[in-house]
Amino acid sequence: MALESPSMSDRIANRATGLSALRGKISFIDLMQSVGLLAVILLGCAIMSIMSPVFATVRNIENVLQSATIIAVVAIGQTFVILIAGIDLSVASVLVLASVLSVGLVNFYGWSPELAIVAALAAGMGVGLVNGLAVTKLRIPALIATLATMTIARGLAYIFSGGTNIAPVPKLFVELQAGRIFGIPAVIMLTIVLAIIAQVVLSRTQFGRSVYATGGNPLAARLAGINTERVIIATFVISGLMAAIAGLLITARFEAGAATAAQGLELAVIAAVVIGGVSLFGGEGNMGGMLLGVILLGLVQNAVNLLNVPPNWDSVVSGLVIAAAAALDVYRRKYLEAGMRKKVIATKASKPTKLS
Amino acid sequence: MSAVENLVDDQPREVLVARGLTKSFPGVLALDNVDFDVRAGEVTALLGENGAGKSTLIKLMAGFYSADRGEISVDGKPMHADPAAAHRIGVATIHQDAHLVPAMSVAENIMLGRWPTRYGLVSVNRQRQRALDALARVAPHLNASTPAGRLSPADQQLVEIARAISEDSKVLVMDEPTTSLSPPEIDRLFGVVNDLKAKGLGIVFVSHWLEEVFRIADRVTVLRDGRLVGTRPISELDHDKVIRMMVGRDVRETIAEARPIGEIVLSVRNLNRDNVLSNISFDVRAGEIVGMSGLVGAGRSELAACIFGIDPYDSGAVEIAGRQIAPNDPKAAIEAGIGLVPEDRRRQALVSLLAVRTNITLSLLERVKTWGFLSITKEEEIAAREMKALAVKAPSSRTRVSTLSGGNQQKVVLARWLARHPKVLILDEPTKGIDVGAKSEISELVLRLARGGMGILLISSELPEILSLSDRVLVMRSGRIAASLPRSEATSETIMSYATTG
Repeated sequence: MALESPSMSDRIANRATGLSALRGKISFIDLMQSVGLLAVILLGCAIMSIMSPVFATVRNIENVLQSATIIAVVAIGQTFVILIAGIDLSVASVLVLASVLSVGLVNFYGWSPELAIVAALAAGMGVGLVNGLAVTKLRIPALIATLATMTIARGLAYIFSGGTNIAPVPKLFVELQAGRIFGIPAVIMLTIVLAIIAQVVLSRTQFGRSVYATGGNPLAARLAGINTERVIIATFVISGLMAAIAGLLITARFEAGAATAAQGLELAVIAAVVIGGVSLFGGEGNMGGMLLGVILLGLVQNAVNLLNVPPNWDSVVSGLVIAAAAALDVYRRKYLEAGMRKKVIATKASKPTKLS
Repeated sequence: MSAVENLVDDQPREVLVARGLTKSFPGVLALDNVDFDVRAGEVTALLGENGAGKSTLIKLMAGFYSADRGEISVDGKPMHADPAAAHRIGVATIHQDAHLVPAMSVAENIMLGRWPTRYGLVSVNRQRQRALDALARVAPHLNASTPAGRLSPADQQLVEIARAISEDSKVLVMDEPTTSLSPPEIDRLFGVVNDLKAKGLGIVFVSHWLEEVFRIADRVTVLRDGRLVGTRPISELDHDKVIRMMVGRDVRETIAEARPIGEIVLSVRNLNRDNVLSNISFDVRAGEIVGMSGLVGAGRSELAACIFGIDPYDSGAVEIAGRQIAPNDPKAAIEAGIGLVPEDRRRQALVSLLAVRTNITLSLLERVKTWGFLSITKEEEIAAREMKALAVKAPSSRTRVSTLSGGNQQKVVLARWLARHPKVLILDEPTKGIDVGAKSEISELVLRLARGGMGILLISSELPEILSLSDRVLVMRSGRIAASLPRSEATSETIMSYATTG
């Protein structure tokens, strides 16, 4: 304490300028993630247009986006869960369960297609609720809790469907798949609308703010009067709901209640979310970044197909992209924290200098 | 005692000698030119208020820090700043909480990192034998194959001491070894310490409990504000002299003026929590600043956590502005009109990834809503107003809160609560880790809030802060309120006396 000099105001002024420089740097790093991702995507597109005549066709691009919709919708829900520093492995199984319910309830039990859809969505939310309760009330780690429900939900889907795909699907699904709004496939529009709603919820509602606070610092959130348990449960319910909606999309795409589809999809979703800059440590990320992550993964997949890379290499390439993105996230974090610490120490330890 | 005097007369050998130790951290001079000796066959007690520099000295001896100036030598050999080197040269440190690997057996823990090997494999028999040798000297009742995690804190500590013995340590540093022990366990520990002393180890004993110091120590070294106050044989000292050495004579005058005191805004009645709090009752009135003093671990933060509803309590009641609030429900407490500025703002109050503005509005999101959506305009309005009122220095309200200095971060936490106009505000170590300028700003602010009619519970380990601001001082000790002193009776000496004895 005895070290503190009387020229306190100088020191504070000094520190403030140091910080404003820092601030420029931080927003730069933040930007780098999204802009960097966008740049990589554009660069990839440019290279692909040269290397493959098929790539830059409306048909191919539409195809890439359309197949990305399923991952994107699941990833919307997953983003909520990862923002609270959780993880939801059950999404692919929930997707399959919703898919077989939406067709099976109509074909086997004569329900109306609308009612079957509602039931499918409710089932997804139900699994999400179970996940949320297990994580908050039983304090089971999210990884384990959702691993259990992942296995259970997949099993239930097999039991319900008899282990095979269920067809034909109600006309509704065919219309959904074929539908276009302003010339754009309806499923793509639906995905965009869902992402926009999710982003508004995140950035402009009390719930969304509570999600960031709970993920960023659960103790501080609780001390600020936020019911963190309820927030956590809600994110899992949203994740279940989104996975169920994706289940309807997959039903439309495959024109079947797809019992055996989406194996390993949960990992692709988590990868896309992380590539999109949503931190696995919670509290950081948004839907825009997530969508870029989904598109990048979709493009890698497409490139691998178009360039006739042997199919077994496709997962190696995807894996490398994921590793690179995760490494970038860790590096970015370290850089940010180290930079901050250095700056604070530097301003604290340095002798006051006159600024006027 | 006679044996001790003999040792003193016989010119005991210095086993550890530290000369001119200086260690600074950003903004703080933690140790300033301190000399310190440990003699073989003696217990040297290291005393001082919170923040006097004891921990820094211990960490230097343990090799965790390197000194800016000065050096430590053991048996004439200079020590390098490296924990492993400290162990090799013969300094073993027992930290406040046991550092054992819970899943490993007692024997494995005693031999941790030095497992005897044969042909590259750990020899279980030799490991066991050497562990048993060490155990026999300090804790013969322990089974060498029990996992360390299953032992009581007291036994874990004995295992650490056994580890130190098995390393042939010359100096044993014990940092508040008795905090988690029961009286019989303390007796056993002291038995072990006396035994080690007789075998010629030099022992450094850090404790806040003066009775213990008088029971076990041969010499006392006192630090204050990072400087050495003095080293004296225990026979020359008594309780009051030690406290005077710790506190110093130059205690600041109180600066708080008399204020109108209103009705009760916070009432705590017979609050009990097993092993943490016992029978706590007190009131805070509107416009009153109630200081809460006590040593680290006396239960002050735990009390704050119970009042605020973060931690549950077993019995008792908390009333805020005449309304009883349900236990373990921070939201209800906040709505009833309480605010809490916690001790560790980075861990407990701020979401470091979020902006200053977002952190300020975190506890009043329902007030910035229009049609269910957060209004950025309203949010900005509140943030700008509070930042101006508290003179928060930040490039903008959108800056990440983690980039601000400690003092400004603290102001952000304060702003969050002040925006809600609470009736009572609990401040837990509000000036911890804050530089002097910001400290006085925060003190001024506390007085201003009290003048405005807010009731304040000020928890602080800094006696000058307590003395200059409080209308009344509560002293906590071992989970109970040991004294409630009106301002006229509150002096450093009385507070320290109630905090350490009785």
